[in-house]
Amino acid sequence: MKLLSLLSICVLLAVSPIKAQQREVQMNINYSYSMPVGSFSNIVENNSGRGFQANILYGISDKLAVGLGTGFQDFYHKNPRQLYKTSDGSDISAVLTYSVQTIPILLQGKYYLSPESAVQPYAALGIGGNMIMFREMLGEFGDTETKFGFAARPEAGVFIPFRKNGETGFNLGVSYNLMPYKNNMVTNLNNVAIGAGFKFMMRR
Amino acid sequence: MKKIISYVSVLACLAFVAGCTKEPLNNLTEEESRIYITNYDSTVQFNNYKTFSIADTVSIIDNNRLAGRELTSWDARLIGAFRTEMEARGFMMVDRSQNPDLGINVSRLYNTFSGIVEYPNYWGGYGGFYDPFYWGYGGSPYFFPPSYGIYEVTEGAVSIDMLDLRNAASTNQINGVWNGLLRGTGIFKESNVDSQVQALFEQSPYLRTNQ
Repeated sequence: MKLLSLLSICVLLAVSPIKAQQREVQMNINYSYSMPVGSFSNIVENNSGRGFQANILYGISDKLAVGLGTGFQDFYHKNPRQLYKTSDGSDISAVLTYSVQTIPILLQGKYYLSPESAVQPYAALGIGGNMIMFREMLGEFGDTETKFGFAARPEAGVFIPFRKNGETGFNLGVSYNLMPYKNNMVTNLNNVAIGAGFKFMMRR
Repeated sequence: MKKIISYVSVLACLAFVAGCTKEPLNNLTEEESRIYITNYDSTVQFNNYKTFSIADTVSIIDNNRLAGRELTSWDARLIGAFRTEMEARGFMMVDRSQNPDLGINVSRLYNTFSGIVEYPNYWGGYGGFYDPFYWGYGGSPYFFPPSYGIYEVTEGAVSIDMLDLRNAASTNQINGVWNGLLRGTGIFKESNVDSQVQALFEQSPYLRTNQ
């Protein structure tokens, strides 16, 4: 029902004047499905369908828009009960669970390769910081570590306007989220995300 | 109007996704919430011990203070389960007057504050919880090596301590040689006693003797 409402709103917004992107403020908001890679995938094997990416960009030219972006992704993995050895020689039988949330805050630039086409490929790059909440649980016992680290996100995808030369339309892209983070278990929280959503024009 | 619709749709998306965060505590069964911890003196040869005795009551430790001694049906069930496991591994239970090699003390620990209790503090007052005279070594101090781990509790736990009584006279102290710890939801349910004690012994394969 929520998805149907969202689609209806997007169709209404599609009826907008045809204008070049320059000097326009646009909002992109995508549902994000993410897959851990690298050392992150050693502790969290499950992909995450609990996330979104969003940004507000200002058109510098017909092809280039810059602005601020953010997002959210929730990762979770529960291991079956196992025996673990601790540094003091103790043996602990426990169900080990990892719960990780990331909230990047990025300066973003987006370059549309052919802004007049029916299908507009784009390349984007975001650089900034990342709020990380990392929780490791043994049974019902655990701690949450909150850190702010570096984040970078190269991205490529396509924008499909709802009408010829329209500013509102559908986004589909793939991004690589570079998220350094170090503790005893991992050296990063890198992940590959597929995003699908919409672009709205906010202001001319 | 279009801006309002945009903002509302954005907020709806944010609320929808944020609500999908998977809370680990909501995805654990009662059994999965529990942890079982064991530690032992690695210099000890457990097959050199033959007999054991279990204290006939359980100490209630509340915020590192002895609050009393009890023998509830849960306590009796746990003592019985521990005896069964020890005997299955070749140890023989005797009365404490018969100079057992090993003494077993059971404690229920409660922390009524929303703070942290460190187990060395628990062992620091051990003589007040378990009178050494009970084991026939009145005046002898208890000694737990510093290699035993530090664990923090915020609620309740069960601690089972195994003591070397055979060498207490010669060393002039009662050494702790093994500790088992139960923590988590449901540890004080009688129906969970047998499986919990079994788990402690399964992760302590060195705990056996030859009769």
